[in-house]
Amino acid sequence: MSRPLDDILFGTPSPRAQAVTQVASVTAAVLLLLLAAGIVFRFHSAGQLDARFWEFFAWPTTWSFLGRGLLGTLASAAMAAVIALALGLVLLVGRLARLRLVRWPSIVAIEFLRGTPTLLLIYVCFLVLPPAGVKLSTYWMLTLPIALSTAAVVAEVYRAGVLAVPRGQTDAARSLGLTEAQGFFLVVFPQALRYIVPALVAQLVIVVKDTTFGYVVTYGELMQNAKVLIANYHALVPVYLVVALLYCLVNYAISKASKWLGRPMH
Amino acid sequence: MGDVSRLLADYGPAFGQALFLTWKLTVLSFVPGFLLGMAVTVLRLLPLPPLRFVLTGYVEIFRNIPSVALLIFIVFALPDLEVVIDYEPSVILTLALVCSAFTADYLRAGINTVPGGQVEAALSLGMRPMRIIASVILPQALRAVVQPMTSLLIALMLSTSLASQVPFPGRELTALVSKIATDSAAGIPAFAVAATLYVATGLLIAWAGAALEKKARILR
Repeated sequence: MSRPLDDILFGTPSPRAQAVTQVASVTAAVLLLLLAAGIVFRFHSAGQLDARFWEFFAWPTTWSFLGRGLLGTLASAAMAAVIALALGLVLLVGRLARLRLVRWPSIVAIEFLRGTPTLLLIYVCFLVLPPAGVKLSTYWMLTLPIALSTAAVVAEVYRAGVLAVPRGQTDAARSLGLTEAQGFFLVVFPQALRYIVPALVAQLVIVVKDTTFGYVVTYGELMQNAKVLIANYHALVPVYLVVALLYCLVNYAISKASKWLGRPMH
Repeated sequence: MGDVSRLLADYGPAFGQALFLTWKLTVLSFVPGFLLGMAVTVLRLLPLPPLRFVLTGYVEIFRNIPSVALLIFIVFALPDLEVVIDYEPSVILTLALVCSAFTADYLRAGINTVPGGQVEAALSLGMRPMRIIASVILPQALRAVVQPMTSLLIALMLSTSLASQVPFPGRELTALVSKIATDSAAGIPAFAVAATLYVATGLLIAWAGAALEKKARILR
C-alpha cells in the first residue's frame, strides 16, 4: 500500500474523466502562462527591463561582491551552527540532570532563548549591550544571538532524540559497568544523533534565514551587500530578485540534503 | 526589579499595545495563510501537471526565502513595479505567504498518514474524488497536523518581530524595545519585559495546541 494517495484518487480515470483532465490541464497551463506574461509585461511597463538595471550582472565585480556577501552569510551561519551544536549539548545535559538546581535553570534558559525572536536578541546585542559596556564586532552581534536561540532549539531536538532511544540501552550500559555519564555519551547519545541528523540539518535552513538580519547590524552578508549594490545602481527589483533567488537556492540545497540524510536506510 | 517597575510605570500602556499588535499580526497572517495553504494542498492533489509544477515551485520558494528578504522585496521593490502596498498589509502578506507554504508542506505530510485503503473504499462506494478529499482525506490530515501547525503558529508569532524593520505607525514588541533602548538607558529591563511577553504567548499557544492535539489525535 505504498501508492501515493493522489495516484489512487485519480489513478484509474474513465475515458471521459481523462478528457476532462486533459482539457483542464491545458486550460491551467494557458492561464499560468498568461499570468507569467502579465508579470513580465508589468516589468516592461514599469521600465524594469531596461538594460541599465540588468547590465551590471554581466560584470564579474558584481558577482564577486555578491559572492563575498554569500561567504559572509555562510561564515556567520557556520559559526552559529557550531556554537549551537555544542551549547545545545550543554543545555541538554542540564535539562536531563537529576539535580533540580541544574535542571530548572536549564529549562528556563531553553524556554527563554527558544521563545524570544532572534531579531530581539540581535537588537539586545546591537542596542542594549554597547551602552552597558559590552562591545562586540558586527560579526558577533549577528552570530551570537543566532547561536544562542538555535542552541535552545537544538537542545530540544537532542532531547527528542535521546527520549527515542529505548530505555533498555541505558540499563544494559549500566549493567555492563559503565558509569551513567559513559552510558549517556558512549551509548545513548550517538544513537540519538542518528535519529535527529535530518532535523539538525533542517535547522540549518533557519540559521541561514536568520543571518539575513545581518543588515540590521551592518555585517557584510548577502542582504547587506545587496543594499550596497542597490545604492550604487538604483536597481531595487533586479538585485532583490537575484538575492532572493540565491537564498532560495542555498536553503533548497540544505533541505534536499536533510531529506537525503533522512531517507530510510536498510 | 525597581528598574522593571519604573519602566512599566513609564511604558506600561505601550507594552500592552505592543503585545496586542503582536497578537493581531499573528492572527491576521495565520488565518489567511492557513486557508491559502489548504487551497494549495488540495490543488496540488489534482492530476494537472502544469498546476502541480507551479504550486510545487510556490511552496519551495516561500518555504526557503528568508521572511525579511520577502518583506523588503514587497515593501521596497514592488513600488518600482507600480505595486504599492501599505506597511502593515505588507507584513501580513509576507507572513501569510510564508505560513501558507509551510502549511501546504505539513498538510501534504498529514495526507500521507491517511491509509490508501480508505480512499479505495470511498471510491468503491461511488464517491467522487473531490468529495473524498473534502470528507475523507482532509479531516484526517488536519487532525494529524495539529502539532506541526502549533509550532508553525509559534514561529509565526516570533516572526512578527520583523514588522520592526519597516516604518510602522504602531509598534509591536520588538520595535518597542528598540525604541526604548535608543531613547533611554532602560534597554535591559525593556528587553526582559518583552521577552517575558513573547515566552508567555508562546507557552499559551503551545498549551492550547497540546489540548487540541489531545482531542484531535487519531490513534492508529
